Amino acid sequence: MLVSVLLVITVTFLLMQLIPGDPASVLLGANATPEQIAELKATWGLDQSIFTQFVKYIRNFVRGDLGRSLFYQEPVLRMLGARAETSILLGLGSLLVVVGIGIPGGILAALRPSSWVDNLFLVIALAGASIPSFWLGLMLMNVFAGKLGWLPSSGFTSILETGNLANLKNLILPSFSLGFVNAALVARIARSSMLDVMQADYITTARAKGLREQVVTIKHALRNASIPIITVVSFTFAALVSGAVVTENVFALPGIGSLIVQSVLKRDYPVIQGIMMIVAVLYVFINFATDLTYAFVDPRIRYR
Amino acid sequence: MIEPRNPGSEGRTTRPENAGSPPDWLRAVQRAANVLGAFATRRSSTLAALLILASLLVIVAVGPLVSPYDPDALSVMDRLQPPNRTHLFGTDNFGRDILSRTLSGTRITLLLGLSVSLFSILVGLPLGVVCGYYDRIGLVVMRGVDTMMAFPAIILALALMTILGKPGIVNVILAVGIVWAPRMVRVVYSGTLSIRETTFIEAAKALGVPSHRILLRHIAVNLLSPVIVQATFTFAFSIMEVAALNFLGVGIPPNVASWGGMMNEGRMYLTRASWIILFPGLFLALSVLSFNLIGDAIRDRLDPKLREVM
Repeated sequence: MLVSVLLVITVTFLLMQLIPGDPASVLLGANATPEQIAELKATWGLDQSIFTQFVKYIRNFVRGDLGRSLFYQEPVLRMLGARAETSILLGLGSLLVVVGIGIPGGILAALRPSSWVDNLFLVIALAGASIPSFWLGLMLMNVFAGKLGWLPSSGFTSILETGNLANLKNLILPSFSLGFVNAALVARIARSSMLDVMQADYITTARAKGLREQVVTIKHALRNASIPIITVVSFTFAALVSGAVVTENVFALPGIGSLIVQSVLKRDYPVIQGIMMIVAVLYVFINFATDLTYAFVDPRIRYR
Repeated sequence: MIEPRNPGSEGRTTRPENAGSPPDWLRAVQRAANVLGAFATRRSSTLAALLILASLLVIVAVGPLVSPYDPDALSVMDRLQPPNRTHLFGTDNFGRDILSRTLSGTRITLLLGLSVSLFSILVGLPLGVVCGYYDRIGLVVMRGVDTMMAFPAIILALALMTILGKPGIVNVILAVGIVWAPRMVRVVYSGTLSIRETTFIEAAKALGVPSHRILLRHIAVNLLSPVIVQATFTFAFSIMEVAALNFLGVGIPPNVASWGGMMNEGRMYLTRASWIILFPGLFLALSVLSFNLIGDAIRDRLDPKLREVM
């Protein structure tokens, strides 16, 4: 896992080296004299060799220093921290939609194959793979915020600072539009995995010993069907992050996703670099955590 | 959505909770789901997908001829008109005809999707075959490929757009292409790993066929089916991603009519004129849907075993 993290950092570093021109002349503008540029480069250490820069870069990363924004002159890590709350809540909200709709939906579909619930999730999964989440978000916003006026259309203020839990209402539409598409995908996987397991002999045995159908479904079938489900839920992480970039933009949420878009428009390289790295490192960690979860759900894996 | 607590219903097909008559709207949902679901699992859905694709190609070919208005013609008098007889899809805040703009966006969308798919094949096929055939190269390059895949697609594309400089069609193709090429490399790589162990490769080696010929004539040719399937999916994903980039305002320049760009411009008028966003979004969703369905169909047709891998 450490190797993967190191590779992620290396790739990000190398990508950022590809930027034409150097940040010093970008920041100082066209009127800067060569001496000024050279001076700024020296302060930032940009005049050293790439290898030295890289070593320094890794050292700073380990210390939690991701550099400073070119525009706000603020440490990147602090900027990310200030926006983390919104993104984390949005992520949890959409994960709740993914798991809360996807898994029960998949189980229902598997218990009655080719019933209307099964068909409904099939259609949603197919449509979900094709509907852009930002379009869904805008359409939901139009109906529920615009026409019906049930929910706020955009913006979000910190709950940690104001202590106002009602702010969560602002995240309902974004979480739903982000999570819904992935929920259908999870439902499809949950369904096929459950269908496989329900054929097994131990399910017949469990029924034969007179266990209630709910116990058979939840305790015997679901647990054994859970590994593919966990895998697909962990895959949705990348999809949720990608979707969040656009969803935060649609709903004007002050999160990390809208920060990266602003930074791209302003060419604020250190911020883009910081976000890329944090997200990719998080991705590596989630893969690792997923592997650990397998062992937790299926004790056989521990003995291998 | 949890199973109702009803011990009596175990193992039976009748559902007591629905034994009375369900409300009309629920029955409508049930019927619609059954009809659509039955449709989606049949051949006819592939046919529908091919029809959509064919109409898109017709739009690309003759679009400018049938387009009722100049997609960029401003007409302040007609601004924000709802869909009506003169403007079937309505007009935007500058009075531009949404139908004409949507048709004109079809060209750019398909052009970008095709370019990204070709790019991913041109990069992915040679690289994947070489990596799969030569262990040493594969070991190093595949680590890099996996690392590229650790970045969520849109974040990598955004970073690449920054690195490549100003917005433009070529830069969008490169940025989205670099995001999707690693996935193609993966598909080709795993295919090569299994083919190189087969007897006909062994036979070719024993006959003294040079390596480059083995790679090209024996391995690459046999990987065409997974490559075509993956390219179809790449097409679907890439037009979605291009639309997202345009929507965020970092894709192709705003003076070119694109579906994502139109949706971005329409955001200000969402509640007043939702048709500005509705129609390009529908076209995008239908295009992506048709490519996904066609990809599924080709995959099942060429090699049913691939269903598990892709």
